[in-house]
Amino acid sequence: MTAISQPIAQPITEKSNGMPLWRQITMMTWRNLVVIRRTPASVVPGLIISVFFLFIYEASLSGASGFLLGPGQSYLAFILPVSLISASLSGSGVAGQYIVRDIENGYFDKLLLTPVSRIALLSGPVLAGAVILAFQTAVILFVATLMGLQPATGFLGYVAVLVFGVMLGTGFAGFAVSVALLTGSAAATSGASFAFFPLTFLTATFVPLDFLSGWLKTAAQLNPITYVLQANREILLNGWNWEAIGSGLIAVAILGLIPFGIALFSLRQRTTRK
Amino acid sequence: MSSRQIIVENLIKRYEGDFYAVNDVSFLVNAGEIFGFLGPNGAGKSTTITMLTTLSLPTSGKAHVGGFDVITQAQQVRRIAGVALQDIGLDPVMKSLELLTMQGQLFGMSRMDSIKRAKELLELVRLSEFTDRPVGKYSGGMRRRLDLAMALVHKPEILFLDEPTTGLDPASRRDVWAEVRRLNVEEGMTIFLTTQYLEEADELSDRIAIINAGKIAVEGQPAELKAGLGAESINVTFSDLPTAELARSALVDMVDRAQIDRKTLRLYLQKAAYAIPNVVNKLNELNLQPLSLTLTQPTLDDVFLQVTGQRFVDEKEETEEKAPAEAVA
Repeated sequence: MTAISQPIAQPITEKSNGMPLWRQITMMTWRNLVVIRRTPASVVPGLIISVFFLFIYEASLSGASGFLLGPGQSYLAFILPVSLISASLSGSGVAGQYIVRDIENGYFDKLLLTPVSRIALLSGPVLAGAVILAFQTAVILFVATLMGLQPATGFLGYVAVLVFGVMLGTGFAGFAVSVALLTGSAAATSGASFAFFPLTFLTATFVPLDFLSGWLKTAAQLNPITYVLQANREILLNGWNWEAIGSGLIAVAILGLIPFGIALFSLRQRTTRK
Repeated sequence: MSSRQIIVENLIKRYEGDFYAVNDVSFLVNAGEIFGFLGPNGAGKSTTITMLTTLSLPTSGKAHVGGFDVITQAQQVRRIAGVALQDIGLDPVMKSLELLTMQGQLFGMSRMDSIKRAKELLELVRLSEFTDRPVGKYSGGMRRRLDLAMALVHKPEILFLDEPTTGLDPASRRDVWAEVRRLNVEEGMTIFLTTQYLEEADELSDRIAIINAGKIAVEGQPAELKAGLGAESINVTFSDLPTAELARSALVDMVDRAQIDRKTLRLYLQKAAYAIPNVVNKLNELNLQPLSLTLTQPTLDDVFLQVTGQRFVDEKEETEEKAPAEAVA
């Protein structure tokens, strides 16, 4: 660590990456955020749809909350995680979209001609995507608060749910990023971020897991999203249930590591000279 | 091995289906030289440049750029080489100052230094007034100039320009030429440029290589190559081919070489101007009436015709073909 902080000239071999990796990553992230800010059209629709879902679900099912949930529990807090997860999934496409954009306009090749680290080329858009996910989640939480949300865990509950949303979306980003790097096609990449949309419905979407039966219950039990959903619900409805939160974190890790393994492989495919 | 040289030995790029885009190409670019790589579309120019600039790997063969092996020392090659590719890769929503500053920082400059360098370069390519406009709103010529500035950020020793003037209007083309000359003379940069314009290769290059169908057809100084054809030519056009044939058999002994191109008889010889009276007398004697008679210095087009047996692609047609593609990009 001390080596990085010393401003002394580095030997030539070190200089091949002129800038420390973390600086390259922050710069690439900043660059992608600038681009996203100038092309907001790619982010706004996903956000609107998620807020719309929240309104519809709440309006159509909140009347049944006394029957579905315990007495006095809010259906809003129960359904909010579904909206957050669908926002994470649609927001996960952002990183892939911006990589494909660079491939199409040729800037990706231009970057490959500089000594920039390949890891920075991947992490820049992914981290920018994470910032967007945090923003989206925060907006949805704000709307939910206006609708009367009062999390059982208070302000920290908001933070925990936000962290879950960002982690889940960032993990899923690996899929769209892989497709972007492998195909260089915008159409294929936007398709990839919808491929996992069914997962949000093969789970305890509208009612608690105990109310499900048959194949849907089996599917929900196998679906890692279920555990993310339950962790969020516990935080918002009941309090710090560490067992549920632990299962949620494991699920998020599984849902993130697999896509990122593929993404690293795809990065290598794209940047290896042929 | 001088640091600003390019040495290419038996370079081959084969694609699937046994298509040889570059087929056993060897050449040497001396330090501080402008080297023109001339050839029609699809001859292998861009493929060569992508290998030399580390974007693609040769199927076989060797290449050293500035003393570094393009295969094993790609990172070092990237540090000393500046590259402006034919397809300008600039993010349309970014602004020129942002792109240049980032480029400088990626090459290891501090933020302050790269801003300073960026402003210097914007001045140089006359874009200082347009730093607030997204690059997507630039004209073709402006984008080309910015792309050149991008290639110069890290003060490269060797500059690669892939068709730097394709799709540009004549005035912008002259600007690029002037800048290329300046970089070569004032900064001592070795410049490797590909072009499909004979005039451009002739005008700019110290030495050229003509590449056709993946192979180098000829290499040398433009003047030397032209001189090698027998200096100048007298071109006599007749009303029909048989008359031209008749004239050739009568005149062939007087000249170094006589060639018929449609209805025109080309007589290649030294000091052609002195020979005109004799040619005219001979034609008079035989009562062969020419439609026109001109004297020309050989051009690279003639060189191309001689080494490949075919005419170079018509430049006008080529520009028109290119124009719509440029507009889309």
